[in-house]
Amino acid sequence: MLSCVELEKRFGDVVALDGATFEVQPGRILGFLGPNGAGKTTAMRCIFGLVRPDAGEVLWNGESVTPEQCLRFGYMPEERGLYPKMTIREQLVYFARLSGLGRTEANESADRWLETFGLTDRASSKLEQLSHGNQQRVQLAVALVHDPVLAVLDEPFSGLDPIGMEALSETLHALAAEGVGIIFSSHQLDLVEDVCEDAVIIHEGRVVVTGSLADLRARSEHRRLVIEVDGQPWAPEIPGVERIEIRKGKVRYLARQDTGIDEILAMAQREGEVTRFAFEPPSLSDLFREAVGR
Amino acid sequence: MSGLRQIWYIAVRELKQRARSRAFLITMVLVVGLVLLTGQLLAHEMRDPAPSVVGIAGEAPDGIDTALGAAATAFDMDVEVRHYPDAATAERAVKDGEAEVALVDGSSLVWKKDPDVTLAAVVNGALNEIARRDEAAALGLTPEQVSALVSPTPLTNQRLEEEDPAEGPRRIGAYIGSLLLYMAILMFGQFVMMGVTEEKSSRVVEVVLSRVRPYQVLAGKVIGIGLLGLAQVIILGGAILLSLTTFEIADVSLPSLGGSILLSVVAWFLLGYAFYSVIYAALGATVSRQEDIQSVAMIPVLLLIPGFFISLVALDNPGTTLVRITSLLPPTSPMVMPTRMAVTSVPLWEVAVSVGLLLAATYGLIRLGGRIYAGAILRLGAKVRLRDAWKATE
Repeated sequence: MLSCVELEKRFGDVVALDGATFEVQPGRILGFLGPNGAGKTTAMRCIFGLVRPDAGEVLWNGESVTPEQCLRFGYMPEERGLYPKMTIREQLVYFARLSGLGRTEANESADRWLETFGLTDRASSKLEQLSHGNQQRVQLAVALVHDPVLAVLDEPFSGLDPIGMEALSETLHALAAEGVGIIFSSHQLDLVEDVCEDAVIIHEGRVVVTGSLADLRARSEHRRLVIEVDGQPWAPEIPGVERIEIRKGKVRYLARQDTGIDEILAMAQREGEVTRFAFEPPSLSDLFREAVGR
Repeated sequence: MSGLRQIWYIAVRELKQRARSRAFLITMVLVVGLVLLTGQLLAHEMRDPAPSVVGIAGEAPDGIDTALGAAATAFDMDVEVRHYPDAATAERAVKDGEAEVALVDGSSLVWKKDPDVTLAAVVNGALNEIARRDEAAALGLTPEQVSALVSPTPLTNQRLEEEDPAEGPRRIGAYIGSLLLYMAILMFGQFVMMGVTEEKSSRVVEVVLSRVRPYQVLAGKVIGIGLLGLAQVIILGGAILLSLTTFEIADVSLPSLGGSILLSVVAWFLLGYAFYSVIYAALGATVSRQEDIQSVAMIPVLLLIPGFFISLVALDNPGTTLVRITSLLPPTSPMVMPTRMAVTSVPLWEVAVSVGLLLAATYGLIRLGGRIYAGAILRLGAKVRLRDAWKATE
């Protein structure tokens, strides 16, 4: 288990981390979420000692992370980049060996990851000859080539099409099933909602929401209520509804958990044909807005 | 996993990737080819200094051929005599460069441009000799009496200091050596800088640094490129040495002279490269784009150039105070000391002091440069100021 405890970091006048605390459990996928500039990248760099925190510490199973331990972690930085003129197989073998794998192990592991990502026939292509999507795959393979116990992925979903997102999500779930702890960051909260099992939402260097997704949703007092009658948004006065939001032409109620939905559905049916009726737990961005009071 | 092994992997990657680059290999083959070719041409020039051709036309005194040969020997020259049917043909020969000078009717010399003073003296001497011989014969003297009369006893030469036949070759060797040293330190230092900036601009450095410490990357890079530099210095120096074997200078063993200079160049390349490459690496870490390299690349060159020029001074005056001091102190010592050592014998303690100071300075630079490298390498975008890079790792 990785624990980041009370991490603090300033760059001049800018506070990047302001006492951030969170944990990554083995075999689980943690979404490390928050708007741009919240401190996600700085926190991830702290794990690898790329940034030295002003205060706080990073622990692995309760002990300080040593350089040797770091070699058992895999990292995909937000700023992607490998050696453009090196063949992709060479890069995989190189990074595997840098992480301490023997020659045979490194070669086997490189071939295995090339196969996993369907890149076997491109093994001796230079990185710069690959498409953007394939370069992204190689980048992930480099982060995982030494079979890490913890994968730290900074914005792995950015720039992926829906098919790419699906594939990456599957890869992460397969890794987690093998017991690898995974932490990935994203600033698009709703996009990754289905991927993560645990969530940490960070805002201005501070953790504002933390817990398993199921718990967070169950714990929230709010539900989203969306009703459309005859294809039109329907927004009458409803008892127990706290707030009405109009976003992108959709009318959305923020209702209390104990709102009697049978009654509301009956009201709507008297009005006309109900074409949409949703009563859902809040999304991650709802939780985030709730936490920062927006 | 030991830190040393990681450094070695980084070094091997640097070495392999660069040695495999087609541009590097082609340059290498071209330079070696050029060295061998120039060597051959020079050797050819030096081995056969073509004899000066004196053309004779019109009326010429009897025995001019023998007299010219004798006079040329006195001047330590080789002269070939050619006879032309008339003055016009002889003049054309001079014009075409076939003959240096034409003696027309035994009374006038025809040159293409300015007269060659020595050659003119040879011809004059020969004519005088003939004239005196003819006059003496007219006075009724026997040939023995004539030669006793016109050939004075030659003066003897006494040298107070024995000339060292190796002095000239040693100077040339020292010059080639310091040129090679200058180019190699500059070239491979710049390779280090470009390598550092490349890793930063392609962003791969963050992936690397998540696995190894900054000092390991720095050390691996310097060692890998240094090994490549070492190989190049040895190959190039070997090529120069090989072309030396085609020269022949009396009493001097060129291969052994060149070999000892090459050995010293190799040793000083390692010392000088270690010193300068750390400066290059630290500066390379402060820029994110290849275009920005120009703005910092001048700094090490400015440190290296004075040493190069002083080493040229040292070729002729190895004993001056300036040369002695700069050969002891970095950053000039890696250029000046090997030149001094090549042209004169330097006391062992001075060499030891020079090497010791350079090693100490390199160690200090590794600490300093390593810190600047670590502080600057992850800061993308604009050029990082050295002071900020230094503070970043406090």
